[in-house]
Amino acid sequence: MNTPAVSQMKKLVDTTQGLLDRQIFFSQEIYQQELERIFARCWLYLGHESQISQPNDFIATYMGEDPILLCRGSDGRIRAFLNMCRHRGNRVCRADQGNAKDFMCSYHGWTYNTEGRLIGVPGMKEIYSGELDMDRWGLVPVAQLDIFKGLIFATFDQEAPPLLEYLNGQDRELSIMFDRRAGGTEVIGGVHKWVMNANWKYAADNFFGDDGHHTITHMSVRRVPVDKRYYASTNDDVSDEKKRGLGLIAEGVIRDYHIKHFDELVERIGPELADRPGLVTTVFPNVSPNFTRHMIRVWHPRGPDKTEIWSYCVVDKDAPEEVKKAMRLHLTQTFGPAGNLEQDDMNNWVQCTSTARGLIARRYPQNIQAHLGHEDKIGPIGGGRRLRAFYARWEMMMKADNWSQVDLKTKYF
Amino acid sequence: MNHHDLWHEIHDFLVHEARLLDERSFHEWLDLFTDDVVYWMPDRYNALGMTDPADGISKPGELALFEETKETLHTRVARLATGLAWAEVPPSRTRHLVTNVQVEPSDRESEVKVRSNFLLYRTQLEHSQDLFAGTRDDVLRKVDGKWKIARRTILLDQTVLSSANLSVFF
Repeated sequence: MNTPAVSQMKKLVDTTQGLLDRQIFFSQEIYQQELERIFARCWLYLGHESQISQPNDFIATYMGEDPILLCRGSDGRIRAFLNMCRHRGNRVCRADQGNAKDFMCSYHGWTYNTEGRLIGVPGMKEIYSGELDMDRWGLVPVAQLDIFKGLIFATFDQEAPPLLEYLNGQDRELSIMFDRRAGGTEVIGGVHKWVMNANWKYAADNFFGDDGHHTITHMSVRRVPVDKRYYASTNDDVSDEKKRGLGLIAEGVIRDYHIKHFDELVERIGPELADRPGLVTTVFPNVSPNFTRHMIRVWHPRGPDKTEIWSYCVVDKDAPEEVKKAMRLHLTQTFGPAGNLEQDDMNNWVQCTSTARGLIARRYPQNIQAHLGHEDKIGPIGGGRRLRAFYARWEMMMKADNWSQVDLKTKYF
Repeated sequence: MNHHDLWHEIHDFLVHEARLLDERSFHEWLDLFTDDVVYWMPDRYNALGMTDPADGISKPGELALFEETKETLHTRVARLATGLAWAEVPPSRTRHLVTNVQVEPSDRESEVKVRSNFLLYRTQLEHSQDLFAGTRDDVLRKVDGKWKIARRTILLDQTVLSSANLSVFF
């Protein structure tokens, strides 16, 4: 059998042949282009409304490599800015979360309010002769910010299409996780944060469409007697056909809770979505909700070979405390840096990234041919088609000079 | 027993525990815990001001890095024993260094409160190296003449862990 070489590829991503050029997991140049063409333009996930529920609440996060302050102003409005003093560039806030009426830079004391306005400059008269135009030196705001079912997204591109248009129907998928109950969802305090020496795309594509890895990567969990409250993993053991979408949900209080509120779910999102076996996906480029694990995952890029992982526990706000607790424990057992399932993911991605350093290795493309040419044999939502779709989207964003060249109508999930 | 002897006994216990972990004798390590153990590693974050020592630590009921019972610890050990838990294939080489041991009486006669600091060096594969520093607050209980860990709270000092996973024990 011939081993295809990169030279046979017409481009970095070849979805027709199911090939990927390993450059995209190695090149510093491509990474810088990703920051410009993907992270500076796409809608990125900043946080959940419940994390800043009170006036003056804030959290610090990132958009690409840019540090961001996400604030609820004293007026109740949610805004986001670069967490960077406009004077010399110090971060104006060093906390990860909190409540503050204003942010004073610790270098020279320039002070900003929660609307991002510069409200204080020490030495305004003595140093700047009163001539500094404070209106021009506020914190750099995001270009657009919008909220979908509690999920706060923003983009630094004024030209980006509105959030719902960007989601292009993926919002319907998201409702499986974020629109089950009238009260919506909330994030439980505490965030898992850790760093791996892997390219961000491995993680993002894994959640979006690498269905094929479960059996091998996570096989250890199948080999030990496990508590079904944590590891329900078949889709066959819910007798009521109507509730088959809950087959992946852990047994006990969590599944009982979902069964109890199944009719409400059908009413809210319709039978077709309610019947889906959960939701594990990626909203391009780097936020991955996982309904089965009660989790929102963000992959912050830190170079072609480094990713900072942030992971939140998300539950229905209206769920009883007992159910919220079970969901939290379920997440801790399965996912996060110590999760019995996820522990085994990271080193795979780290090694996939490190082999791309090899000059000879980069002459040989990666194989993303799962189900290629046989897409009709896989279900409506799974399979290798999604992996190829992720990279088709990636390529489209990387090539497009402007949004008119981005075809969001492409059905990519 | 006077405090000096008690301290030495507890110190020996912790050093023995560290050795079991470094030698990967995880089943013996599990035997050092009571059946009702609560093994908890809360999350750390940077809070504003940090005026309260509890600031910057996730609370009970919030998301933690480890929130274990004896049963879930058993599952973790059993999983490692399959040889298919890829995070530990090949196994990490670890060095659990335990210092600054302080022993205090507890409200219960059969229990003592023990604080220790640790530095856990871990290396794996060719180049992977991790350093975990932190403190542990334990409650040790005398059961049938032997010390057992009835509660362990582990505070890692990092807010963003610089390691790919937490597939080792603390």
